[in-house]
Amino acid sequence: MKELAIAIGMVHIAAAIALLNGLLTTFGQAKVAAQAIESIARQPEAADSIRSIMFIGLALGETSGIYGLLIAIIMLFANPLINTLISLISN
Amino acid sequence: MGLNIDNLWVINVAGIEIWITETIFYTWIIMLFLIVIAIIVRIMLRNFKEVPAGIQNLIEAAVESFDNFAVNSLGEKLSYISPWFFMVFAFILSSSLFSVFGIRAPTADFATTFALALATFVIMIFMGFKHRKGDYLKSFFSPHPIFFPLNIIGELAKPISLSFRLFGNMLSGTIILTLYYALTPLFVQIGIPALLHAFFDVVFGVLQTYIFVILSLMYVRSAAE
Repeated sequence: MKELAIAIGMVHIAAAIALLNGLLTTFGQAKVAAQAIESIARQPEAADSIRSIMFIGLALGETSGIYGLLIAIIMLFANPLINTLISLISN
Repeated sequence: MGLNIDNLWVINVAGIEIWITETIFYTWIIMLFLIVIAIIVRIMLRNFKEVPAGIQNLIEAAVESFDNFAVNSLGEKLSYISPWFFMVFAFILSSSLFSVFGIRAPTADFATTFALALATFVIMIFMGFKHRKGDYLKSFFSPHPIFFPLNIIGELAKPISLSFRLFGNMLSGTIILTLYYALTPLFVQIGIPALLHAFFDVVFGVLQTYIFVILSLMYVRSAAE
């Protein structure tokens, strides 16, 4: 039982670490948005095309954040190691 | 609405169990909604006049703006596949807008988003072979045959990242709303969730729909040109 508690605690810490990539993702997205604002301020007539390119850049930068989120979700809710551990302990 | 995808019914077809999950059921509702709209528009199409008025304006504006959007991002030559992407657009948009009513968005299930992304992947490869023929095959070996495995991984990553992006965004909204409903007392569950729904379902839904479609169009264009 003690091993299971340790493993579950570790899984929660690992999920938190996986979500830390949000720091860098947000930083990258902020950089994309800042550059887009700068170019729109410099060239307001190109605002429409810059805006659509900015959304694509934001979406591509978001991918790593989404991967971290999914890893955290899988670790918390669908972790195969925890299930293996439970079946090992119950045997 | 919850974290898990609930199973509603189990149907037995020739000894094989088919699970009708929440996702399938809500997908049917959305399909029914879209089909009814399409049939109504088709019937109204007979009485359309040269100068649009009333609801004809709305329909023409929707189709025309999507056509412009598709031609801008696909080019004139490839724009004949834009009806498929209009369907994808309508489906994803209505599925995220339907979750305002408290149902679980079908796009918060990985099966749905992966099916849509797989369709994009198939269209991408098909258009590549149709428009560039041998050149497309050769592009996997460029700039040097050593890069072949890297190119293959790069192509396979496209549908995966496309589907995970939509799935992750929709699932995060669902999880946050579920946590809110589960953790807060009853008297703050009136009114305040509307703001959360507006943000996580409407804003994220519209934005992610746009991003899914425009990235699909970009992938198809880069394969076919």
